[in-house]
Amino acid sequence: MSRGTAERVVPTPLVAASRQRRLVSGDRLFRVIAYGAAGLIILIAAIFVIALVVPALPAITKFGLGFFTSRVWDPVRNQFGALAPIYGTLVTSAIALVIAFPIGLGAALFLADDARLQLLRGPLSFLIELLAGIPSVVIGLWAFFTLTPLMRDKVDPFLSHILGFLPLFKGTASGYGFLTAGLVLGIMVLPIMIALSRDVIRAVPRELREASLALGATNAETTWSVILPYARVGITGAVLLSLGRALGETIAVTMVIGNTMQISASLFATGYTLPSVIANEFTEANGNLYLGSLFYLGVVLVLITIVVNVLARLLIWRFSGSARAAA
Amino acid sequence: MKRVLAALSVGASILLAACGGSNTGTGGSPSATAGTPVPPAAALQGTGATFPAPFYDAARFAYNLKYSQVTVNYNPLGSGAGISALTKKVVDFGASDVPMNATELTAAGGADAVVQIASTLGTESLAYNLSGVASGQLKLTPKTIAGIFLGTIKNWNDPALAADNRGVSLPNQAISVVHRSDGSGTTYIFTDYLSTVSADWKSKVGKGKSVSWPVGQGAKGNEAVATTVKQTPGAIGYVELAYVIQTNMTQASLQNHDGSFVIPSPEGATAAASQFLAINPTQFSIVDAPGKTSAPISGYSWLMLYKDQADKTKGTALVDYLDWLVTDGQQYAVNVHYSKLPANIVKDDIISLKTVTSGGSTLLNVPAPS
Amino acid sequence: MVRVLIDRLVGALVVLCVMVAAIPVLVLFLYVIIKGLPGILTPGFFTQSPHPQGVPGGGVLNAIIGTLEIVGIGSLLAVPVGALIGIFLSEYGRNQLGDTVRFISDVLTGLPSIAFGIFGYTVVVLTTHHYSALAASIALAVLMLPVILRATETALLLVPNALREAGLALGAPRWRVTLEIVVPAALGGIVTGALLAMARAAGETAPLLFTTLGNDIVQTNPLQPMGALALTVFRNALVPYPNLQDQAWAAALLLVIMVAATNILARVYVRRIQR
Repeated sequence: MSRGTAERVVPTPLVAASRQRRLVSGDRLFRVIAYGAAGLIILIAAIFVIALVVPALPAITKFGLGFFTSRVWDPVRNQFGALAPIYGTLVTSAIALVIAFPIGLGAALFLADDARLQLLRGPLSFLIELLAGIPSVVIGLWAFFTLTPLMRDKVDPFLSHILGFLPLFKGTASGYGFLTAGLVLGIMVLPIMIALSRDVIRAVPRELREASLALGATNAETTWSVILPYARVGITGAVLLSLGRALGETIAVTMVIGNTMQISASLFATGYTLPSVIANEFTEANGNLYLGSLFYLGVVLVLITIVVNVLARLLIWRFSGSARAAA
Repeated sequence: MKRVLAALSVGASILLAACGGSNTGTGGSPSATAGTPVPPAAALQGTGATFPAPFYDAARFAYNLKYSQVTVNYNPLGSGAGISALTKKVVDFGASDVPMNATELTAAGGADAVVQIASTLGTESLAYNLSGVASGQLKLTPKTIAGIFLGTIKNWNDPALAADNRGVSLPNQAISVVHRSDGSGTTYIFTDYLSTVSADWKSKVGKGKSVSWPVGQGAKGNEAVATTVKQTPGAIGYVELAYVIQTNMTQASLQNHDGSFVIPSPEGATAAASQFLAINPTQFSIVDAPGKTSAPISGYSWLMLYKDQADKTKGTALVDYLDWLVTDGQQYAVNVHYSKLPANIVKDDIISLKTVTSGGSTLLNVPAPS
Repeated sequence: MVRVLIDRLVGALVVLCVMVAAIPVLVLFLYVIIKGLPGILTPGFFTQSPHPQGVPGGGVLNAIIGTLEIVGIGSLLAVPVGALIGIFLSEYGRNQLGDTVRFISDVLTGLPSIAFGIFGYTVVVLTTHHYSALAASIALAVLMLPVILRATETALLLVPNALREAGLALGAPRWRVTLEIVVPAALGGIVTGALLAMARAAGETAPLLFTTLGNDIVQTNPLQPMGALALTVFRNALVPYPNLQDQAWAAALLLVIMVAATNILARVYVRRIQR
């Protein structure tokens, strides 16, 4: 059939055939364009990999895996090692999760289906989502001017006073460093943690919850013994996705981490993270080895982020699959 | 009040000196002062040292008021970034407080491929944040400076500091050292000074644009060091003088080569520079200069460009701008607390600029200096 | 009895958690508004570029124009391509190729923003021997692509199949059904996705650091370095001059307003379309 949708003219067979050919070739053209677009993104990904890995080769070939165990970062003697920024990245991300996991999970439990304070749920939800939209540099600005003095003058001395016997809180705090950066990261990943956890908790089948309550369990007991164990896989996925976000955060961390290539047990110490090193030193790196080392850091960062993200999505997908099956 | 007056006078002088060009530069009258040529239209791009950035900023603004057809965009990212960007040919000129060394020149195409000119003269302060200790009250000697930055002097009430500062009550507070996190000419000048006055520093750390700092936290650029020191009680950092004065920071009195305590100033820098007459890109250090009023941590700042300019128009605008910068432009340096270049250096600069060519022909159309 | 007490306690704890989670955003807004207003209300903030120290006045005109142009060009690149890929995924993508594309898109979403800066630098700046706004636009375009493509695919999948079948039954070729029936029906979701992606791009800083570099002068040529609001906030935060720090806060406030406005616009538009 070769009639157009609105036409009532009865075409002659010849005209009909050529129209049909034109329309079919229109289809083919469109198909080519659509597939082409798909090919384009694959091409972009390939270029991405090449643009990241090729400049890193001088460093990869020179340092190999020893890159990960060396603390030295010396542009003068052309010796580079990633241990210090890797340490910083891991420590700040860990602090971020320690903060975001409990608070995020608690908030998610409230927002998911708490019967009380229904009116507040909408606005609170909205507020937390807003946080996700605030640009990283604005959070960094606030952290640099407002949070840092607060940490230095109030929070860090307090922690030092109470927990100063632990190696974690030794030394004087300048307000910059691992703890402040970790706190900023924690604030930044809260929205993701909450949003994902809320969805995971909502996906737990109602019947399970109602059954538990019917058996006389309190809300708290239901949450602890029924909902959380059921949602365990999904929540782990949420945590991992938050981790992935924390690992890659660049600007806000750069403004408060203190920019020091060092490893220190104390959380008050200043340090460096993988993205911060790249952001700070990229424009001035001269020489293939220096620049290559920065690219090598980039490769490491991207690899870690991809692995964490993929793992997270696998877990969430597996969880939502099983939750759907059970429903 | 003083700061407001100073700001107004700088602003007034910039506006006056631009010979009536409007703020938006609507085809400003190119009234060329004797010797400085009228440039063709171009958008020039430079990056590098933060040490001279306040001067470069004032200069490009004034130049654009005068010749609206030329815009100069300068991004202060650190001397290391300046040299790197020039080598990769992503900017028209680079700026660094320390000229390119042999390795860097080779990477850029050889010592003959790059022209380096001194653009300004400045000096570094040691700015600190101690409540109750006013500017100039704190006296630092080469030994104590080295000790602080080596980490051997950790607290403000250390006896070594007290010995030099009788009459000043230094608190029991940990010293927070702030240094540069990026490749910095300011760091080079400072570590050059420390290597000269402290054998300990020389053997343990050495000099360079980037060094392995024994203690302290890093900040990117002169500006960030200044901001961090301002924000952190008990902090001390090395900062170019302009930043200190413009933001009313407290700085230390430094003991110079002759033993006198001086507060870094443009006059001190000029005095230091007068002790070293033979300055060129391979011999440029003026730290720890003799002389009663010499500021001990002074240095020139340099601009570098390629000798062979691919784009003739842009190249012409570039050398015209640089010629103006080292001659008429120097007045803007004084307003922002830098020192004018000595006459012989200006001469050398113009001779160097006249070697810049494009397609074989010299770009700078000024008479050769006598 | 104890059980009830524990239940109440946990209940209270959970409420506390959500309050704590909501505090940062309120505090942030408060500070940005209080510290940013003086700068925004200074005459010349919107009409002038930064002045050097000593010359009074100055503003962020260069950065406003820069952000608008950089994000504008990036969107011109990302929206059509992203929409097309989204169409591909929903109409032709129930296969391995589609899965690969989705995987790549997911990976790109999770990448640190600095990686896009590196991409822009290596692919554009090094090859053109020039820092330029275009490099930043391209970096941001790649950053926006997965967001737009996912939003488009989701929106298209929500369009009931009955619509497609009706169009095909009336004899329209597949491409016309897609472009003239399905896409308009999904337009709300697509536009929302695009707006949200643009809002995110406007706030990004890391991809701009070594692509567009920054410019204190108004520049409209995308082949030249350009300023941007995010860069102004980042760089001015770290300078010791109070007036520039005020400008940083003001620029931050401006950014937040722009991002919030775009988000609200997106929601309003969706509601309008759904009517």
